[in-house]
Amino acid sequence: MKFALRLTTLGAIFIAMFSVIGLRLWFIQVAEGPQIARAAEEATWVGKTSHAARGDIYDRNGTLLATSRMVPAVMIDRTFVQPEQRDILIQEVSSIVGVDPLELDAMYEEAGINGRFQVGTVSNETAYAINESLDELPGVEVAKVPERVYLSGPTMAHVIGHLGLPEEADLAERPELDRNVRIGKLGVERVYDEVLQGTGGSVEYRVRRSEIIEQRPPVNPVTGSSIVLNLDLALQEQVELALESGVALSNEVKEEERSNGEEVFNETQRAAAVVLDVNTFDVLALASFPDFDPQLFVAGIDETTFDGLNETKAFNNLAVSGLYPPASTFKAITYTAKLEENLPFPPDVEGVDGDLIHCDGTLVLDQLADGSAQVKRDWYDPRNLGWLDIHGALENSCNIYFWNVALGTYVAYQQGTAKENILQDWATRVGYGHETGIDLTSEAPGIIPTRGLFEDWKTYQLENPDEPPRLEPARLELASPWLGGDLMDFAIGQGAFTATPLQVATSYAVLVNGGTVMEPRVVKETIDSEGNVTPVERSAPVTIDIDPATRASLLADLGRVVNGGTAAAAFNDFGEGVENVGGKTGTAQASATQDNHAWFVGVTPIDNPRYVVAILIDEGGSGGQVAAPVARHIMQYLTGNEPTPIVEGEEAD
Amino acid sequence: MAVLSRLREVAVDRGRNKSDRILFGTMFALSALGLLMVYSATRSSGSVGMERQMIFVAAGLTVYAIISNIDYRELKNLIPIVSVAVLIALFAVYLFDPINGARRWVPLGFFNLQPAEFAKVVVILLLAALLSPSNRDEIGQRQLSWPTVFRALLIVALPAVLVLFEPDLGTTLVFGFILFVMLFVAGATWRQMLALTAAAALGVVVTLQRGWLEGYQLDRIRVLFNPAIDPQGIGYNIQQSRYAVGSGQLFGRGLFAEGTQTSFEYVPEQETDFIFTAVAEQLGFVGGILVVAAFAVIIWRLLVIAANARDRFGALIASGLAAMMVFHVFVNVGMTIGIMPVTGIPLPFLSAGGSFYLAMTLSLGVANSVWLLRTPVPGENQLT
Repeated sequence: MKFALRLTTLGAIFIAMFSVIGLRLWFIQVAEGPQIARAAEEATWVGKTSHAARGDIYDRNGTLLATSRMVPAVMIDRTFVQPEQRDILIQEVSSIVGVDPLELDAMYEEAGINGRFQVGTVSNETAYAINESLDELPGVEVAKVPERVYLSGPTMAHVIGHLGLPEEADLAERPELDRNVRIGKLGVERVYDEVLQGTGGSVEYRVRRSEIIEQRPPVNPVTGSSIVLNLDLALQEQVELALESGVALSNEVKEEERSNGEEVFNETQRAAAVVLDVNTFDVLALASFPDFDPQLFVAGIDETTFDGLNETKAFNNLAVSGLYPPASTFKAITYTAKLEENLPFPPDVEGVDGDLIHCDGTLVLDQLADGSAQVKRDWYDPRNLGWLDIHGALENSCNIYFWNVALGTYVAYQQGTAKENILQDWATRVGYGHETGIDLTSEAPGIIPTRGLFEDWKTYQLENPDEPPRLEPARLELASPWLGGDLMDFAIGQGAFTATPLQVATSYAVLVNGGTVMEPRVVKETIDSEGNVTPVERSAPVTIDIDPATRASLLADLGRVVNGGTAAAAFNDFGEGVENVGGKTGTAQASATQDNHAWFVGVTPIDNPRYVVAILIDEGGSGGQVAAPVARHIMQYLTGNEPTPIVEGEEAD
Repeated sequence: MAVLSRLREVAVDRGRNKSDRILFGTMFALSALGLLMVYSATRSSGSVGMERQMIFVAAGLTVYAIISNIDYRELKNLIPIVSVAVLIALFAVYLFDPINGARRWVPLGFFNLQPAEFAKVVVILLLAALLSPSNRDEIGQRQLSWPTVFRALLIVALPAVLVLFEPDLGTTLVFGFILFVMLFVAGATWRQMLALTAAAALGVVVTLQRGWLEGYQLDRIRVLFNPAIDPQGIGYNIQQSRYAVGSGQLFGRGLFAEGTQTSFEYVPEQETDFIFTAVAEQLGFVGGILVVAAFAVIIWRLLVIAANARDRFGALIASGLAAMMVFHVFVNVGMTIGIMPVTGIPLPFLSAGGSFYLAMTLSLGVANSVWLLRTPVPGENQLT
């Protein structure tokens, strides 16, 4: 190629390059110019947002439980920081506020070029010192920001909940959230977060050479709505103290048992309680032990403290998420089903005589396929109580009686004269096996075992042999993994059946209020910043048919449990009006390495029921011995009696 | 000017040829506009950017006048000295504290010398000397030998690598572009050009695969393809620059107009690397395209000078300078309008900065010298 041609080629390439520049310039400046100019104009405005204070939380009597106070916080606005000032500024601010410089560096980068972010809250003294030296700290300002204050400390912690920085999932779900501002993470703080949160304020301005040259009218933040709880602080305090004493009592009893050479597996550590208004389904008290102080989360909880509390499961609200076999407390439901559905006893069985059952600790089964008989022994409760009708059976918590109800139902189903799941259907209707719909986080649904569920489990287990089994291997060999014994276990609240303390409380509320099912609520109403009161939303009540005679019979028998039955010892010193108190003990058999869980459900007054009190002591031992005295103490308070010390009751079921 | 013209009469007698007035006029106009723009970009911050730049312009024009009147062929003799000087300076930058994370400067008190800017001109001279015939036997050879190509590569390699580690990837790429263009003009075969292209492509692939690029360099490339990513972080420059250029529209918002993107100083480095955003915003498409056209004129003149040079040495110098100029304009303007990644390559005559301005006027001075001496003296053997 000749030299001149090479130069010409080069010239042509250069012309092409310059044409690209010219065309692109035309595109940006002329074709798209007007749109870009508009976007550019808008982009010169920088926004500064301020966060609204969270709404207050009150108990049902108007006692303030949680509020917000304004505290000084150090903010950095990068718009006002020149690049060369950056490193020195980070050093200085980190030493003043007490933040790790590397962490501050990361926050600075994350905020973006014109970003403004909160470094941290500081004391009034520090804020004053910073204000004095603002000239040396470009971009730094001290702003008043709202901070949560929990006036009741750990009391009601699981209901009120706590705050925490939003996680990626929260940010994805609610794009309006600021990743540096804490939101509700548990309890009412979480469920009602959007109500409590309020609306942030903002100021928009234009900056030139680090100076504001133009400003738009500011939008002030609007404080979040306040919340009034159904819970009563004084009652809650009683309940929490009683639970703690109950746990201590259980450990004393265990100590005694150990010294008597009885087998004890674990220390008692956890407990839960629910006090419910049976007519309104207002939650009057709801407690889980151990608890935590929500204030720890306000400035950010340190890892050691968090891990320590997490170890003891202090953040778990056992009242709504703890799952236990309801045990003998469930006999009240079997009782009601038996009367309502006229459930038969098995025909031609030893120990059945009309309405009476021979409660001698054994049940003779002769319905086996080969015609042979088998004696099922109640190993746990070998008492010989003689011949009992349904009333005596509930009062004494006779397993043999309720086994016979289950067996009769099972046989009737096999003969085609009854529905198979008649007992489970009752359980479902009164609130087991599904969430109650309470306005709290992490509610567990529990399990109602049925033939269908067991068959599903079997299928799953055969398909996924590596996962932990739910059914013992022998059952997989059977045509159906569901046996009559499973229904017998179910009738006394054992087996694969699990429920939360809240479910046990609501089921009793339904039985004693005449059959009305509602969603329990911890929140009564919300009050917005202008004082408008909005009652909390709840679903329409559902009524199930319960004969008033059945209800009256149950109430009377619950009264007999307390006044002469399995809880009589625990209610010995109840004081005035004990005849108007009813209840049911329960002792749940758990796994082979756990002690029994202690239950008690109390109802008062039984002539016109108003309160249900459910107590669960996790691995607490016998219901009558440990849980009943706790409930008694609380019910003394509810009925206006002087609560007497929580001491050992009688060991029962 | 009177002094300059008398100096010329006294210093050399070039006979019939006159300075390239178009070249000088365009350079002068761009420099004047540059001063206005530097003033516009720095006036609100009260900096003395414009005063400093005026000194550089005065010094630069003087350098232009002096170099114009030195016989460019004399420069061949100076090449060893200036090469060593520039190499020493390129090493010297590593002795000083980095500014904004890079070691590109040798502080001299009154200003910071940026050796890489002069290294470009020295490399052009070196390559022109290498690629032009050095004895009678070579005259008339049309094609470059492979050893010559490798020697050219070696010449460029040392300064390019030194600059790369400052780090200044942009200037390294300028060296590459100059080498590529000069080899082509000097008569490299298609095969040689293809081999170089393949080697360059391989280099890019290996660099990307090995992760030799710094995170911020990768970000600058990513943001080019997706300007919307992170407008408050890595996309900030490109976004603000696009806002400024777009806001200029057809006729601009007026010189020194208030309330512009550039007057708010939203565009970073706007008196240096991003000076074109101030031009485009204040003078609009009309002003912007005129500036681009002015560069086109300079490059046209350099190619004309190359075509008319009396020897291959002069022609190659002019071609190399044209390549340097094109690369600077294309990459610099390209980055402000979002077609090139952000690199620290300034815009000739407009961007504030002493070393670069002096290097540019020096370059055009050499080109003018080639132009002045384009006509062979009767009887002279052209070494072409």
